[in-house]
Amino acid sequence: MLRPTILLLLASLVVSCGKAPDGTQDAGADPQVQSLGQVEVTARLVELPEGAIFQRELYDYATILKYEVVTSHRGALPKGTILYVGHYNPWKPRPEAADARVKEIGGTLRRFRAGDLHRMALESPMDDHFMGGIVNKYFDQHTGPTYWARWTNPAH
Amino acid sequence: MIPDRTTNDPNPPTRVVRTRRGPRLLALAWVAFASLPARAAETPTPETLQLAAEVRTLGWITWAARSPRGDWDLFQMRPDGSQRRALTQTPEWNEAAPQFSRDGRQLLYRRLRRSEVISGNRYGEQGTLILARSDGTGERQLAAEGELPWASWSPDGREIASLSLKGVAFVEVDTGRVRQVFPRRGFFQQLTWSPDGRWLCGVANSFGTGWSVARLNAVTGEANAVSKVDCCTPDWFPDSQHVIFSNRPPGQKANGGQGWTQLWMAEADGTQRRLVYGEDGRHVYGGHVSPDGRYVIFTGNPAEDGDPEHAGAPMGLMRIADAPLVGGESTELRTLHPTARSGPVLTLPHGWEPCWTFSDSPGTSHGVATPTPP
Repeated sequence: MLRPTILLLLASLVVSCGKAPDGTQDAGADPQVQSLGQVEVTARLVELPEGAIFQRELYDYATILKYEVVTSHRGALPKGTILYVGHYNPWKPRPEAADARVKEIGGTLRRFRAGDLHRMALESPMDDHFMGGIVNKYFDQHTGPTYWARWTNPAH
Repeated sequence: MIPDRTTNDPNPPTRVVRTRRGPRLLALAWVAFASLPARAAETPTPETLQLAAEVRTLGWITWAARSPRGDWDLFQMRPDGSQRRALTQTPEWNEAAPQFSRDGRQLLYRRLRRSEVISGNRYGEQGTLILARSDGTGERQLAAEGELPWASWSPDGREIASLSLKGVAFVEVDTGRVRQVFPRRGFFQQLTWSPDGRWLCGVANSFGTGWSVARLNAVTGEANAVSKVDCCTPDWFPDSQHVIFSNRPPGQKANGGQGWTQLWMAEADGTQRRLVYGEDGRHVYGGHVSPDGRYVIFTGNPAEDGDPEHAGAPMGLMRIADAPLVGGESTELRTLHPTARSGPVLTLPHGWEPCWTFSDSPGTSHGVATPTPP
């Protein structure tokens, strides 16, 4: 009588192999996010500071947003790590954000909302990848690297 | 293929002359048009006429403007707006961002495909960098498209500083050899090498705001902010101790709460920031100080960024000693600067990002010239 139960348990383990306990392993995955950049994480957008995102058509800029890592897919950023990530022209949906100035970014995320999970392919340091205005509401609040978002998908 | 406009050949082939006739006639037509007062409705005041007489013989101004054929070309004139002439006549290309060497003998500018829109924030990295004599002859392309971005002359005209993701590079003009590179420290556009060679100024993102004007030590690479909030288009005074820049002071109620960009100056260490010229209803930027430090020319436009995607707007010229000046009604601005004068400001033709030399070298031009307008 115990054998079917054990088999079911084993089958369940096989199915969930590679999936994080919170179910984020596959959410938001696509070939771009899984290959671009040096680091790939699923992270929670901690907050959206006032004034961090605004629409000024003629002034391209990147804004720095604060994340907490939920799952690390590539690279060495353990769960719980606080990340600061630069997003280019964050008022634009990610599929429409690339332009003549910044060509190699994208994703499927359409809007930044505090608390949302994002699956991101990241580069570091940001200064090696972006030359332009930066809105940084966390200026002088952290000393670590600032990451640059190459690809950003929703992960829910 | 970029046209070769080298005209130092004393015996150019006849066919070249024939092919140039059409464009030259068009240019003459444009010059006749451009000789009209930029603001026909305005009657010059005695103070404005005096200012015009004061600067008339002080060298040459080169600027970019839209030609009658719709492309952007370079033009030259005396500082009072007289003796205007076309410097480039390339309807298949746009030319922009001219920059005299400090001795006034050479000119750098960027040439873009006609189909490429000039960007107010990217013009220094668009197209190719062109070197020419200051009368527009002898032009040659210095690097491939997109290379040597945000180039700025060294004091002796033998090198240029260039700003890219890789850093600030000092490059020999004749050989293309990179002498030195150091980290750009957040600088991202509008790099300008100081007349004494010791400093660079530019727009930086490393001071907690997106658009700071900052100074970079050309030897050590150390940086300091000159003005931190919403500033751009910095340039040096001839003493290398002061910087002129555009600034949009926060807290303005006008323009839907976004305010207007004004022309400011400061010590290069960031102290003594003060208004030079402002006008509600007009964004003022692109300030370029005369080689003697007594005057400044600038661009102004009701739209952002000098409107290079359209036709530009009238440029202006004023004495530094008359600062601060406030143009127009500007109720809000006059409240903030109650002692500011109203003029004189010389209204110059439509244009964008002018530069100024006291050298007479541009006056030796082989290009199209017209008599001084009344």
